[in-house]
Amino acid sequence: MAGLPRRIIKETQRLMQEPVPGIKAEPDEGNARYFHVVVAGPDGSPYEGGTFKLELFLPEEYPMSAPKVRFMTKIYHPNIDKLGRICLDILKDKWSPALQIRTVLLSIQALLSAPNPDDPLANDVAEQWKVNEAEAIATARSWTKSYAVPNSSK
Amino acid sequence: MIILVWLSVITLQSSSFQRLLSRIYTLTMGACLCKDTPRGSQGHPVEISDSVDNPSRRQVPLGHIVTEPLNHLDIIESLILNTMYNIKTLVDNDRALPHSLLAIHKIADTESGWLLVVSSLVKVIPLEDPLGPATITLLLDECPLPSKGTIAKITSNLKIGKKTALDERKSKNIQRQRNTCIVLGCLAEKMAGPNSTCLMTGNVLDYLFTNLESDCDPIVILHSIVALEKFAQTSENKSTISQALDQMVPNPLETLEAWGGVNGQLDTRREVTFCAQWTLDNLFVPTGRNFTYKSMDHSGKNVILNCNDVSENLKIAPSGLEARCDASSFESVRCTFQANTGVWYYEVMVITPGVMQIGWATKNSKFLNYEGNGIGDDEYSLAYDGCRQLIWYNAKCEHHSHPCWKPGDILGLLLDLDKQEIIFSLNGNCLPAYNQVFAHARSGFFAAASFMSFQQCEFNFGMKPFRYPPKVAFKKFNDYGSLTDEEKLILPRHMRLALLRQVTVKEDSCTICFDKQDTVMLLPCDHTGFCMDCAMQLEVCPLCRTNIEQRKQVVVRTNSVKILNKDDGVHGTESEETKPGMKSAKTEDEKIQICMTDVESSTDAHSALEATSTHTESS
Repeated sequence: MAGLPRRIIKETQRLMQEPVPGIKAEPDEGNARYFHVVVAGPDGSPYEGGTFKLELFLPEEYPMSAPKVRFMTKIYHPNIDKLGRICLDILKDKWSPALQIRTVLLSIQALLSAPNPDDPLANDVAEQWKVNEAEAIATARSWTKSYAVPNSSK
Repeated sequence: MIILVWLSVITLQSSSFQRLLSRIYTLTMGACLCKDTPRGSQGHPVEISDSVDNPSRRQVPLGHIVTEPLNHLDIIESLILNTMYNIKTLVDNDRALPHSLLAIHKIADTESGWLLVVSSLVKVIPLEDPLGPATITLLLDECPLPSKGTIAKITSNLKIGKKTALDERKSKNIQRQRNTCIVLGCLAEKMAGPNSTCLMTGNVLDYLFTNLESDCDPIVILHSIVALEKFAQTSENKSTISQALDQMVPNPLETLEAWGGVNGQLDTRREVTFCAQWTLDNLFVPTGRNFTYKSMDHSGKNVILNCNDVSENLKIAPSGLEARCDASSFESVRCTFQANTGVWYYEVMVITPGVMQIGWATKNSKFLNYEGNGIGDDEYSLAYDGCRQLIWYNAKCEHHSHPCWKPGDILGLLLDLDKQEIIFSLNGNCLPAYNQVFAHARSGFFAAASFMSFQQCEFNFGMKPFRYPPKVAFKKFNDYGSLTDEEKLILPRHMRLALLRQVTVKEDSCTICFDKQDTVMLLPCDHTGFCMDCAMQLEVCPLCRTNIEQRKQVVVRTNSVKILNKDDGVHGTESEETKPGMKSAKTEDEKIQICMTDVESSTDAHSALEATSTHTESS
């Protein structure tokens, strides 16, 4: 909250006024650099029907350095590991200060639609994806059901 | 074997792991663990920075390290204690690594293992060790996230509920109570959102509320308040807790806040008072709350902690002179007064005995709270750590000869800008002078401090008499500083955020910072929409990633972009030092809204990024 940069204020205003379809991003009430994010599993993907909770931090150097984003909901995906960390180039070396919270979240949504087992973060998942894609997709679907469907028992 | 261990550590890229360990291993390990260090931060050479992206290294089998049969309770318990011990002692121990931490991580991979780890944490983390709570935070942060099913199991395994709270209080099992609260708080923070709501069952609430009763041990009360605060990170929980509190007569937090009336004590009750007051002002605000900031007497106060120069999770008391961190990040703050010449002194009263790095910093010192970098972790700051008995400079540490600090101790901090030296004292006992920081900064110093989880201290900038004034002639901040009445107000967070949100942004502002005017064109790609400050921080164009060769100050007119430098095509005649003063020719009428007046339009999307550098919208 320290002298919150205008950039963050502006982005936040915009996110609230014109939310991205399928994505909810709300700043924490006590910490304007911390966003509670919920991404809906894209239609046609094994994550369809699930709602995935993420956390997004804007570090001190934002926008010169990338936001820190992590899945809080367990997900079976070759580019997301079990701690929820995401392997996505724009969150690392391909970050550009012209990108923003909105574009980052869109990219993550796209990553759910198009898993990339050739650039894995979760090796075992990627392996499974390559060896037996149908089964991997089935697993992803069942994880979605278990962990990402609201009011499911587990 | 050694190599295996190394690689495993490197691949365990959790920010929290790095955060804490970078505090501990910076000297030897920092280099390997700081892959998250953002561009532009100084100090840490990144040796193996790409390891996380290299999948072949990620899956080093940890089974090679843990040869004993897993999931055995005794082993888990000793591993936990080992980790705690390592955190404390391995500050500069060259290559010894906490195998224990890796082993626990491995064990917690399965649900049953995770449950065992959590129950063991509750059972074995001792009350007395100042790093105990931090160890719980670290280990839980490092373990995989539990599922909803696992969450249900943990609350029943620990028998969390009102009855247990009362039984534990009766049997004085303070250690178990406190650890349970810390675990609950950590999980609530870690899983903020729907899962945190799942965790906050009626039993959990009963347990925490029962722990707020005044005859409970203050340490248990304290961590129950903090746990409630962390549950309240999820709005649904927050309203549940607020409603429940509203129905209790009297509100237990108000009762605890009133403890503060008995002044001068230095036990945990002071922390309880601080946290109760903070939550009442900031989170669970009762109707008709008389906010503390309104009734604060600020007379004679000319310097305080700067509420505009603090990382976002630090709690500053309404007095402006006391601060506390309950987050898992490493939170920092500077004071409002800057010292440029002469000899200056301030004192800090230690309230909690854990890790704080207190010292001196210039404005250039960065607060990278989530990376674990604070005061003493760059070349612009120097700090004293009385818990691990270290002096920190540029993220490197050296031992000092003082004993561990304890609550009530007075840290004295003397800055001699004439002799270029800094002298720390604990209860009047001085260390030799340190001067490393003057290699990079000779003036512009602020009193500054960083706090690990659950740490708190109080600052005296000279408004009260000093307890151990130095023997040399010195100046007090409070005699030279000045603050307007408004600047003295430490507003509750929701009020500050509401004020901030009202800020508007001008149409012609820089598309990166939204703060200054967009006056710069990048060459050779010709992209515009940036101020000089941002442009100077960029190496490649944010829109097309073309390497920047020149940054030109431009004036935007109705039909064309006029470049002030007539030697338009000649590279090198206009240096990067071009000063923004040239924009003065620009009047309001002459401006047009070029397409990039808004981050949205300029960047909506990757299409802008993918576009080639033949971008011509402004020519």
